[in-house]
Amino acid sequence: MANPAARRQKIAPYVFIAPFFVLFLVFGLYPIGYSIWSSFFSMKLIGNAAPEFVGFRNYVNVLTVDPFFYQALLNTVILLFTGSLLQHFIALPLAILVNGRFVRGRELFKTAYFLPYITSTVSVVVIFGTLFDTNYGLVNWLIGLFSDGEKIRWLQEAPGIKAVLSVILNWKFVGFNMVVYLAGLQAIPTELYEAAEVDGATKLRQHLSITLPLLLPVIFFAVSLSIIGGMQIFEEPYILTGGYDNMGGDANSGLTAAYYLMFTAFKAYRLGKGSAIAWILFLVIIALNAVNRRVTRHLENR
Amino acid sequence: MKRLYSFLVLALVAITLLPAQAFDPAKKYEVTFGGYGDLEKAYAEVFKSADFKAKYPNITVKFQTADFGGHHTRLTTILAAGEQTNDIEALEVGFIAQFVEAGGLTDLNAAPFKAGVFTKDIVKFAVANATTDSGSLIAMPVDIAPAVLFYREDLAKKAGVKMDALKNWDEYIAALKKLSVGGVYGIEHPSAVQAIPLNGGKGGWFSGGKPLEPKAKFVDALKLVEKVKAAKVDGDLGAWSGPWSQAYLDGKVATAVNGAWFGGTLRTWLSPEPGKWRVAYLPGKIMASLGGTYLSIPQTVPAPRKAAAWEVIKYLTTSPNAQLISFRAIDAFPALTTVYKDPVMDEPVAFYGGQKVRKIFADVALNIPENKVSEYDNLILGIWNGAVTSVVNGKATPEAAYADALKKIRATIE
Repeated sequence: MANPAARRQKIAPYVFIAPFFVLFLVFGLYPIGYSIWSSFFSMKLIGNAAPEFVGFRNYVNVLTVDPFFYQALLNTVILLFTGSLLQHFIALPLAILVNGRFVRGRELFKTAYFLPYITSTVSVVVIFGTLFDTNYGLVNWLIGLFSDGEKIRWLQEAPGIKAVLSVILNWKFVGFNMVVYLAGLQAIPTELYEAAEVDGATKLRQHLSITLPLLLPVIFFAVSLSIIGGMQIFEEPYILTGGYDNMGGDANSGLTAAYYLMFTAFKAYRLGKGSAIAWILFLVIIALNAVNRRVTRHLENR
Repeated sequence: MKRLYSFLVLALVAITLLPAQAFDPAKKYEVTFGGYGDLEKAYAEVFKSADFKAKYPNITVKFQTADFGGHHTRLTTILAAGEQTNDIEALEVGFIAQFVEAGGLTDLNAAPFKAGVFTKDIVKFAVANATTDSGSLIAMPVDIAPAVLFYREDLAKKAGVKMDALKNWDEYIAALKKLSVGGVYGIEHPSAVQAIPLNGGKGGWFSGGKPLEPKAKFVDALKLVEKVKAAKVDGDLGAWSGPWSQAYLDGKVATAVNGAWFGGTLRTWLSPEPGKWRVAYLPGKIMASLGGTYLSIPQTVPAPRKAAAWEVIKYLTTSPNAQLISFRAIDAFPALTTVYKDPVMDEPVAFYGGQKVRKIFADVALNIPENKVSEYDNLILGIWNGAVTSVVNGKATPEAAYADALKKIRATIE
């Protein structure tokens, strides 16, 4: 042990893994702990006032008197279904299609569908905002070719805002999910399909009886990610509806839980309440994922 | 140990003495300046001027400029963390409220700054906005935005309407109806007028500690929005959006209700062709403010740097040279009233077809009523904008929208 070389060798592994733990401590664990702590205080983002301990008041306030929290949560859940979960019905068939034996340029499709995912959210939302503009937008122009009705005010009216947000979310993340499913599909042995074909099963039957059951763990993984991401949607509605001053546009239609959290902490400067919202949101996400887990288990055991 | 104590005592004494540290003309200073938008463009010109160089040969200024939102987010985040800011930080009036009662910025009325002697020539309402209940001044007003009516003279002539002496909003809406022909929009959006009855909506949300009082003021603002919407004279254009700027560029917007700075926006990119636009008082000669910039010194700035920063702020806010250079460069209307008597205010302005618009700006500036800002202003503004939108979309009557907004505000600020 006195041998310095041996000692160095003993320390070396810790040094090698240290960067992660140091970074996680500073940028992960500490902020998480700090936000728990601050959620029990009345805390202003700026100014000299010392934080005042208020116990569970922030939580009670958010869950009882706050006029926006439930609306924001409802908006988020609606968008979760129409935006983040709907795309799985597109992503999976798409993955099967791209995975087809006779598809040429598979890599090209993979890249093309993946591209929206790595494109900057701000530019995506700005472009979609232009496409859906009432007077100058391409979408209303297209609709105008087939109908003479009143122009749809996509970005000014509550249902329109949700519709546009759903389109953006589907478009942006469908490629990511497709790539996840593609990886899952490639892990399914081809013999199974060959055997099914010999037995005379149609393509649809093959996918229902082989692909879906075998892909269940992958679906669970992808849906979990969608729930986690979908419940925290912020940039898209924030940019589309014009920032904090508008709080999600008409009837707060685009006000998601994360958007309201950010508004509370960084526009209304109430850090304590903002932290409380964050933790409530965290619990909601955990609960939704538990539901997802149960549903998946149930399907697996069938 | 004894040594350590005496060192600590000395350090303490030094720290307490530091705030009194005065500006030393023999020393070289580099002052850092955090600004937004085109402030740098104006102030860089000021610091290049012979007058500034003669007065402060020992000061150079380094800028850190960001867009409007980015600048204020950076500043609040740094202040929240208690970290080092720039020596001078610009603040838009909408953000000043947060700091007025919360603290975080240096009291300029206290020694050694004693801004009191310098603020007497600055428009009163702007000084009041930056003054706390206990009389601290947390920032110096550098420019203000008297609200006026911008209108297209050529379109008004064609429509046969006179825009320069509108007695009330009904006359204005009647004029907009005549202007809104052949693809022209009378006004960009019904919500463009909502802030005028509220004196710009930067502050003034409370009366006697109660939000949205007096009720009539706020309901009237919503009724005005409803009327403009019902007249079908708007382009449904969201401010600063692509279609919005395109409509101005295409010459399809006939009037705009905005602060003096909007003239700069028109001149530089929305409608650069001179001679088309004119300026008038708002209908019924309403006096209101729509924006304004303040200069502050955060508390975290070390004392010797504060002294130099204060000299720069003093120059920018109280020297006619600086105020006029900024006005010419970016249409930032002077907060310093003494320059309103300068001959330049009487000059015809080519962009407005030779109209002497600056006299109107100055007159409005001197008559803008005071607004009391509060720490809840940002929050209330978000809720209020929701009320305006629901009236614009016909989802609620002004009364109902008011009641809903009030309920939400009460529940949120409690």
